[in-house]
This record gives sequence, structure tokens and C-alpha cells, in this order.
Amino acid sequence: MSRTTTAVTVGLREQLRNYVLLALLVVLPIAFISVAFAVTQDTTMPVRTIVDGQTTTVPRPMPDVHGVIMTPITSTIIAGLVGLFLMQNAAVDQRLGLSGYRAREVIAARFGVLLVLTLVVTAVSVGVMVVDFVPENPVVFVAAMLLLSAIYGLVGMLVGALLDRLAGLWVMLILPMLDVGLFQDPLFVRDAPAWWMKLFPGYHPTRVLVDAGLTGEVDTLASMGWGLAYLLVVGTATIGIYYRTTRIAGRGGRP
Amino acid sequence: MPPAVRRHPTARAMTVRRLAAGVRLNVLTFVRTPLNVVLAVALPIVVIEGWGRSMAGLPETPTMEAIPLTLGRLLGAILGVAIVAGLLGLTQMISAREADRRLVQTGYEPRTLLATRLLALSGVTVAVAAVNFLVLAATTSPEAPVLTFAFLALAGIVYAFLGALVGAVLPRLFEGSLVVVFLAMMDAFLSGDSPLAADVPDFVTYFPLYHPKELLRAAMFEGTVATGDLAFVAGYVLVLLAAVTAVFGATMQVDGRWSA
Repeated sequence: MSRTTTAVTVGLREQLRNYVLLALLVVLPIAFISVAFAVTQDTTMPVRTIVDGQTTTVPRPMPDVHGVIMTPITSTIIAGLVGLFLMQNAAVDQRLGLSGYRAREVIAARFGVLLVLTLVVTAVSVGVMVVDFVPENPVVFVAAMLLLSAIYGLVGMLVGALLDRLAGLWVMLILPMLDVGLFQDPLFVRDAPAWWMKLFPGYHPTRVLVDAGLTGEVDTLASMGWGLAYLLVVGTATIGIYYRTTRIAGRGGRP
Repeated sequence: MPPAVRRHPTARAMTVRRLAAGVRLNVLTFVRTPLNVVLAVALPIVVIEGWGRSMAGLPETPTMEAIPLTLGRLLGAILGVAIVAGLLGLTQMISAREADRRLVQTGYEPRTLLATRLLALSGVTVAVAAVNFLVLAATTSPEAPVLTFAFLALAGIVYAFLGALVGAVLPRLFEGSLVVVFLAMMDAFLSGDSPLAADVPDFVTYFPLYHPKELLRAAMFEGTVATGDLAFVAGYVLVLLAAVTAVFGATMQVDGRWSA
């Protein structure tokens, strides 16, 4: 077993032993997403999306539209907090460096833990959603969910490196709520989104989610590409900051 | 000339002195992190305007009334105060836990310690509510400005104490923040007059923001005090206070035990 695998295993075991956390990761999405479906008005709403390459407005049941947004809000908030707290504990990883781990092994281990937890959170959120609503294109929908959650997990790590705990918590709650829940929600934004809304992490993946969730054919695959580029940029910045945070003073750490 | 007799302070004077010192230090801890102060000012502006404009952007349908921009902003202000105060209460309780135990071991009364925490928390929450109120007042015209501010602060104090209770029961920041965050969001959605919601269950009236929101609506749009709602909120705060005091007291016990 490589040292990176060992570190990932130990990191995950640490999370698995935390029964309260595990229970919350399951119970909260069930409660939040199920309630959203249960109480949303059963009416039809016009939704702005892309059909056959053209931006158009299509009528869709409001619970479905709301579900398509509430599901990623749930996973992005949890993934963001996971990233935030992984970074808040990053100073501990200096000890791995002292014990001979290379910087890239430590970083790979932490990103591995983040990836697994993001997968779990996304799976639970989507699993709860399909009880009430099955997306038109489930494969692309799940891919976009994973992409969005991963972006927010990394954004959480970045925020965790730059802000203290309280400020980080405020930002990692309000950012996904405003971004995914308001600025990208087709119920609220019915005209072309303003330029600044496109800068948020949720813009491209949410376009795909709305498209894949509510229309038969997916016309927004280019947005997946832009989302992946966003992920790459945020990931590179996070790696740089994580390396700086966990390096051993005076030694610079081994790459 | 006889030497001046140095009087020892009475127990009451000592308690007051400890309270004052504790409150001052707690507030200083918050203020000394400039980013916290900046965010406490900036976030309300973003949340109030973002929430207000988004709510107002919803289309009107035969079964759904359009939400006026003013009401959307008011709901954004309540949510903004609740989130900031709730997480503040949570972090305040958790971050000071170990230090509090040591102070109890040196002779501090748990109630005195808790009082310093909650007084400081209430003070910062009122300041956060003031910022929210100023943003709200700059974009709307409340019928009763003083009442609107007071009830906004009351909504914040409810969530601040709720956050403190979660922090006392579940002294882990990650898990506690998940609880506070999702509770605040469900609360805002279910009891926050969301036009998307229908068939809201009756138990929503027991949610923390339901009655403060009713109070705020009455104060802002009618200039009146909804006395029934005010009594309910006062009772809510007292119950939270009793619960957090009981839990805090239990977690701070040091007699006959190994120290933490």
C-alpha cells in the first residue's frame, strides 16, 4: 500500500468513526430535499433553458425545477464545508511532512478524502432527489452534480486557507445559497443572466443541471467544458495554497 | 495617620467585575478579526439585495402572488441576521469551551461565564442587526423604524442562542455548522413566506423565525406590534436560555471529575 493510499485510508477512517457526521450527511439531505419537494406548489413555471441550440422558455412543473436547484444547493453547501474544514486542519499535515511524506503525497491524500466525501454527498443528494423526480438525462445530470460539488469542495478549501473559521463558515453558507439558489435559479432569473453572475462557480454546471434535468436533449455540454476549466483553475490555486500551508518551515518541503 | 485599609470586593462586585471583563474580552476577540467585522457588514448588503431582487423576480401565476421587492428585502434581512448570528453563537461556544473549563476550575461560576458569552453574543448580534436595518432602511421605508430594528435584533438573538445551544450540545464546529446552516435554510424556506411553498405544515409556527418574521412584517408594513407573536418569541428566547444554561452547566462540571 502506498503512503498516499495509507493517508487517504486513515483520513476516511477518521470520518467514518464520526457517527454524528455520518448521520448528518445522510439525514440533512433527506430532510432538506424531501421537504422542498413536499411543500413546493404543484404548478407550471416558465423555465429559460437551451433547446436545440436555441435559448427558449419551456413550461415545467415547479417542484421539478425547484428540485433541480435544491439538490445541488444541498451538495454544494456540504462539499464546501468539507473542503473548508479539511483546509482548517491542514496544519496537522505538516506532521506528515516531518515524518517523511512528500508534499504531493500529502496533497493527493487530502484531495482523495475530499473526492470520496464529495462522491458520498452527491450520491446521497441525488438518491434523495430521484425518490420524487428523475432527471431527463440522469447521466449528464449526475456528472454536472459531481462537477459542481467538486468545484465547491475546492472553493471551500481555498476559503479555508484565506479566512478564519467564522468568516469561512459565513462565506461557505452564503456563497452557494446566493450562487446556485438565487443567481443561477431559472425560477428567479428569467432573462439573460448578468455578466457578473457568470463569474460564480455555479454558473456553468447549473446550466447543465437545468438542461439535463428538465429537457430531453443536452445542449449545454460546452458548459461542462467551461466548468471543468473552472475546476482546474480552482484546483491549481488550492494545490498552491495547500502546499504553502503544509510545507515544513525552513525546509520548503519536498515536492 | 493610620494606614488605608484595602477593602476586598464583595462577591457581588466581583461577579460584576468578572462579567464586565468577560464581555469586553469576548467582544474584543470578535472585533480584533477585522475580516469578521467587514463580512458582518458586507454580507447583509449582499443577502438583502440578492434575496429581495430574486424573490421579486418570480413571475405571478394564477396560484402564486408576486412578492414585492420590499417584502423580499425584509425576508433577506431576517435570513441574513439569522445566519450570521447563529454561526456566531455556535463558534463562540465551541471555540471557548476548553478555556471556559479552565476558568471554572479556577473558581469562575459557570453561570457567570455563560452570561459573559451570551451578553457579548447579544451585543454583537444587535450590531449586526443594526447593519441589516440600515441597509433595509436605505432601500425601504419601514412604518415603525425603531420596532423594525428591535424585532430584527430579536430574530438575531433567537438564532444566536440557538447556535449557542447547538454549540453546547454538539461541540464540533463542522457538525454544528451543518445543523445551524440547514435549520436556517429550512426555516427561511418554510416560515419565510416563500411564494414557492404551499401546504406548509402547521408545526412551522414553532420554527425559530416564524414569529419574529410576523413581528417584523407588522412593524415594517403596519407600524404595529403583534403582541401574541412578541410573547411567543419572548418565551422562545427564555426556553433557549434555560436549555443552553442547563447544557452549559452540565458540560462545565468539574467537581469530583478529572479535568478535561
